[in-house]
Amino acid sequence: MADNKSISSTTQSIAVSALRAQQARMRIIAENLANSNSTSRTAGGDPYRRQAPVFRATPVSGGGTGVKMERAVPDKAPFNSTYDPGNPSADATGYVKTPNVDPLVEAMDMRDAQRAYEANLNVIEAARSMNQRTLDLLKQ
Amino acid sequence: MARMDLGDIPLFAMLKSRLGYLSARQKTIAENVANANTPGYTAHDLKPFSFQSHMQAAASGPAGATTIAATPAGTMAVTQPGHMQAPGSKSGVKAIITPDSEKTLDGTSVVLEDEMVKMTDTRMDYDAAIGFYQQSLSMLKMASRRPGSA
Repeated sequence: MADNKSISSTTQSIAVSALRAQQARMRIIAENLANSNSTSRTAGGDPYRRQAPVFRATPVSGGGTGVKMERAVPDKAPFNSTYDPGNPSADATGYVKTPNVDPLVEAMDMRDAQRAYEANLNVIEAARSMNQRTLDLLKQ
Repeated sequence: MARMDLGDIPLFAMLKSRLGYLSARQKTIAENVANANTPGYTAHDLKPFSFQSHMQAAASGPAGATTIAATPAGTMAVTQPGHMQAPGSKSGVKAIITPDSEKTLDGTSVVLEDEMVKMTDTRMDYDAAIGFYQQSLSMLKMASRRPGSA
């Protein structure tokens, strides 16, 4: 039942939805970084393509707007290529297509995700302490 | 039958609506922080709280219907036990769109720093209102104590 939820717990579930979304984003970043050297299995084929997370505002129970990672879309940026005739993935001319993952971009994205995660933890802490202050009224 | 409610005392009624406002504001800030990476999302905030409007609502209410004083602006007062609240009107405060100081290329206008400042503000105001509430309660206790006792 959505109506019997306190504002404080709604606040916390909004922040929790964001924590989940940022976790999912971190997973995507980890996949990108792990596969930053994954070339094609066949000679001359396409290597790993970078994924980009898409966030979407979604309602949470209790009547607030949370967030969720809706899907991961493939990055349309062109692949890089290096000359490496000895590589099993090299095409006829000796060039290997390498993933369109830029470790620097991923590192920056990771910092951003981390910062957003911490901000949401702060929100939970603030909501919790405000609730606690109210409950402390009972103690006297 | 006269039933005394803590909300019938104007000071408590005002503090109650103040606390409700601050909780709703905290929720709005949580929404902003959660959507700090959502493309096209613009930060929201609540209209500033004014005791003035709550005082006026209390003053203009008909005699006897003191619960109106405790009703947040924008909601219907419950003056009879059978009255029902309209769904979604619980907090009674309306969020307005207030873009933060920067806007990213994907159209997100939420700056985490600005939101953290707002959040700390709200938290301090909440603590202050709770403090006032505590003080008012102890004043009530002092008034109801037998004279001469400590």
